[in-house]
Amino acid sequence: MTLLPRPVNIVLGWTTLVALGALVVFGLWVAPPDAVQSDAQRLMYLHVPAAWLAYLAFFVTALTSALYLWRRTRATVWDHVAGASAELGVIFTGLTLVLGSLWGRPIWGVWWAWDARLVTTAVLFFLYLGYLALRRIPGDADARAKRSAIAALIAFVDVPIVHFSVSWWRTLHQEGTVFNSELSPEIGGTMAFTLWLGVLAFTLLYVYLLSKRYELSVLQEELEAVELEVAIAERIGEPAPRIDAAAGAVRDTR
Amino acid sequence: MRYAEYVVTGWVLTGAVLGGYRLWLTVRARRAREVLARR
Repeated sequence: MTLLPRPVNIVLGWTTLVALGALVVFGLWVAPPDAVQSDAQRLMYLHVPAAWLAYLAFFVTALTSALYLWRRTRATVWDHVAGASAELGVIFTGLTLVLGSLWGRPIWGVWWAWDARLVTTAVLFFLYLGYLALRRIPGDADARAKRSAIAALIAFVDVPIVHFSVSWWRTLHQEGTVFNSELSPEIGGTMAFTLWLGVLAFTLLYVYLLSKRYELSVLQEELEAVELEVAIAERIGEPAPRIDAAAGAVRDTR
Repeated sequence: MRYAEYVVTGWVLTGAVLGGYRLWLTVRARRAREVLARR
């Protein structure tokens, strides 16, 4: 029922906690303030890992959706992982937008700008919010999984658009600090270490939460099946509607 | 710390969101397990 064996999950949980603790120490105290942006740049240690994890989460959703759509690999596990990963992706995208807004206010002077990177990220957020809504529409489990998988693959088209938006258009948002068009990282020393620590801590957290969300998804499916059985049993136990032949009408005797 | 109000808000908010989500998962899973055990 669980995605990872229980002992692995426990070790992963503690490792994630330690990594997040180290990130707090390095991000808020050890890393020096930026020469231009001063301490506002400390939001980068959360904003960038959150954005990368959103990409990863949506990639996993797209991959597992494709695996579900392909008949040879079709299994319920892929549908559960796709849904769980998309939910995490939405959380990380939401955090990316809010943290970016908090960072933008002191540096750009505005909470929001109609900038290509910001707009495409907001579109990504709403696309996957729609995907999660689509998953909640009641119906046959297989049909629901298939239509969700197709929607996930369509929504994933926006991920490379978000990533390359800063290269394709003139934007207020800066180019990538690490994965830029020159593939030359513009960060080093303790700042680079803290950024990579953030990416590591968030990746561990993603795997840990994915495992937990998967477990909940399976439990919810079991619960739905049990509730359906109970509802059918109750329905069968009820007296059936009686047909009154003389009157030619159906009378509900319940 | 300069811009402390933005930096602290961002870090606290991130902790609250991720911690809250972790808690929500635990509570929902526990409730589901309890209902399944009763049935």
